[in-house]
Amino acid sequence: MLLFVGRKLAQTIFILLMVSIVSFTLLKLAPGDPVQMALGSEYSQEAYASLTHEMGLDQSLVVQYGHWLWGFITGDWGRSYVGRTPIFQYAFVEALPVTLTLAASALFLAILIGVPLGVLSAARQDTILDAGTAALSLTGTAFPSFYLGILLIWIFGVHFGLFPTMGFVAPWQDFLDGVYHMTLPALTLSTYFMAMIVRLVRANLIEALQQPYVAAARARGESERRVIWLHGMRNVLMPLVTVLGLQLGALLQGAVLTETVFSLPGVGQMITNAVLNREYLVVQAGVMMTGCLFIFVNLLVDLAYPWLDPRLKPR
Amino acid sequence: MGEIDHRNVLAKMLDRRFARRGLLRGAGLGAAALAVPAFGPQPVRAAEPGHINLAFIEYIDTLDPHFTGFLGAIMVHNNIFNGLLKITYDGQKVSFVPDLAESWDMPDDKTHIFKIRPNVHFHDGTACDAEAIKWSLERVASGKPTSPHAWKLSKLQKIEIIDPLTVKLSFATPYAFLPVALTGSTGRAGTIVSRAAVEKYGKDFGRNPVGTGPFRFVSWRENDSIELERNPDYFEEGLPKLDRVTIKIMNEASSAVAALMAGQVDGMNESPLQFVKALRANPNLTVYGEPEGNYSFVAMNVRRAPFDDVELRRAVAFAIDREAIIKQAFFGIGEIAYSPISPPMTGFFNKDIAKTGRGQFFDPERAKKHRAAAKNQDVIEPVFIMSEQGPYGTRVAQTVLPMLEKIGIKPKLELMERAAWVARRNAGDFDMFDLNWVGDLDPDETLYPEFHSGEDWNYPGWSNATFDKSVEEAQVVLDVETRRKLYETAEDALMDEAPIAIISHMPAFKIISKRVQGFQYIPADLFNLHTVSVA
Repeated sequence: MLLFVGRKLAQTIFILLMVSIVSFTLLKLAPGDPVQMALGSEYSQEAYASLTHEMGLDQSLVVQYGHWLWGFITGDWGRSYVGRTPIFQYAFVEALPVTLTLAASALFLAILIGVPLGVLSAARQDTILDAGTAALSLTGTAFPSFYLGILLIWIFGVHFGLFPTMGFVAPWQDFLDGVYHMTLPALTLSTYFMAMIVRLVRANLIEALQQPYVAAARARGESERRVIWLHGMRNVLMPLVTVLGLQLGALLQGAVLTETVFSLPGVGQMITNAVLNREYLVVQAGVMMTGCLFIFVNLLVDLAYPWLDPRLKPR
Repeated sequence: MGEIDHRNVLAKMLDRRFARRGLLRGAGLGAAALAVPAFGPQPVRAAEPGHINLAFIEYIDTLDPHFTGFLGAIMVHNNIFNGLLKITYDGQKVSFVPDLAESWDMPDDKTHIFKIRPNVHFHDGTACDAEAIKWSLERVASGKPTSPHAWKLSKLQKIEIIDPLTVKLSFATPYAFLPVALTGSTGRAGTIVSRAAVEKYGKDFGRNPVGTGPFRFVSWRENDSIELERNPDYFEEGLPKLDRVTIKIMNEASSAVAALMAGQVDGMNESPLQFVKALRANPNLTVYGEPEGNYSFVAMNVRRAPFDDVELRRAVAFAIDREAIIKQAFFGIGEIAYSPISPPMTGFFNKDIAKTGRGQFFDPERAKKHRAAAKNQDVIEPVFIMSEQGPYGTRVAQTVLPMLEKIGIKPKLELMERAAWVARRNAGDFDMFDLNWVGDLDPDETLYPEFHSGEDWNYPGWSNATFDKSVEEAQVVLDVETRRKLYETAEDALMDEAPIAIISHMPAFKIISKRVQGFQYIPADLFNLHTVSVA
């Protein structure tokens, strides 16, 4: 077990290093730089040269990368070039919790609604209920989340005035207000995953229910509820957890749009703006954080397998 | 006689220049404009403390006014800082009045003497005296790193401190643009910052701004909000009226519009053109927006084929149907431009320019004539670089395209994100691009840096001796009529050789909830909260 974790860790560090080099190089290859963006319509060659030097952007790429890497490892993430915001505070303390809250709420909502719906349509296969759920989940997958977000804002925020349309309130500071502010964004982000979960649960559960051990359980006279939730769902959990782990990327991607529409100061907005303004160091911080998150979640998924399926326990 | 009253000349010029079209005819009112008390009409109501929430959709780069390049940031600066002069608007004309200065004298046309208000302190408690003013202006003019606004004070020879509350600015030549440069807002060069704070925070001053303004800086959370609080020691009696200001930074304009309509914010600092109609129709909102000192245009790269050919550029200039662009791309908002000098620049703007035959306008026959005279008679495929920008999106390029096809020019549109676009434009790697220059208060800043040979913003790379000579002369002349004639000559040369095809003058919008009282609209893209209160 310890060896397994150790090997994973070494892999992780190597992958992160590669990711950081690639993202740094790609952004540097993109035309434009932070000074040109910062000067806006007040561009002057003299100010450009002077500010480029001031920001250390006239140094060689290797030096800039090395400087960043050392700082990153030692906990000094630097400051953004133009706004001079402390990046660690911005990325890790302010933005990350917002995105994690959004992603977790969306995932929670997706599972809370998606799993029962999936089970229901598998149990009532080929009924109107099943067809309705299928139609709903297909729509959910196909609906662009930013458009859904705008629709929800106009219906529930502007027209009925039921929910706030913007802003983030930390649930750990004010739980009810936090949930209240998170409702529409979480709903927006969750639709895609909800639909995915419904279809995944349905397909896998139908397959599981055709297995001989289910027939055996039924023959033993176990209740249908027990058959589905115990014998059936147990076999759905594995693919479900795997897919959820892999879909984390899509979740973060969706978070970018959701954060923009609902003005949530999360990692998605942070990286988007940083890329647009060529704030190399902020992008690096964002990429590293999401990279770590992705690897961490998939590590959890790996660790969860033996627990979900005792057959996979290392002997 | 023989003695020229320079101050009066300047005052007259300023007054006439910024009066709104046709509303002001008299002379001598300029002096009166300078003599009015520091702030315009005072609302007749008691101070009402409160908290205002605003949605800002314009990019904010830094809160260091000497290094900003963005109007969105200046709207914030103007509530934290003051200038020697400031801009006011009484609903009819824009005027310059002393701000940190108590009085302003011109012993001769190159010397300006400012008496500073006594007992003004920065938010950090240090005194704002002659010493502080001198230091701030020098930071812009010759500080390191170089301020992008340094050019506005490049003719400044020296600043002398006459007594602790009097500074004397000596210039190499008479400097007609000075009043704009010295305002705390759109001038940027004349914004006064705390020396102690700059020395304390260094590069991070833009994150910890300290000024003398009505509001103190509290916090700036990236992508989230900027918080300001009331400055209890503000020098204008009874101001500000608000206790707290929260500026929500919103990247998505439609979300800001929704928040405003849902009553979650009390105001918005600009609006994409497509939302203006809906905002105006909303009974809870007031939409401010008059044509400002700006112009939208399509630029052509003079340095390389095909647009090194003046006939081809003229063909483009006459081929563009401005009315159609305003209708299709700008949702009916804006007015047709014939030259870069904008409607609010009254001493210079000719409201009857359409009848004079001067400038550029839509004339398909002339477009065809010039196209026939062009060197290249084949179908031309220039590269048109475009990017999403502010309230206009990419619609100019899209609407211009079919108009140019009619004269055998088929631009290849290249859509790119902003940074890439800026890099291409600055490097001169384009045949055409569209843009609008905004926030101008004087013909000098509308023409000189953009089109004078070799200047930094002259992206088309145009050069013309008549133009250069006229705008150079106009900088050092104070008399309005002489200046006007010089700019007319310059404009004619510019419009005739057409490094740009000019399109329109646009309003800049400020949208405010009816809950908000005392907002004083200034058509210089400002969002001043000094007199604002919330019911």
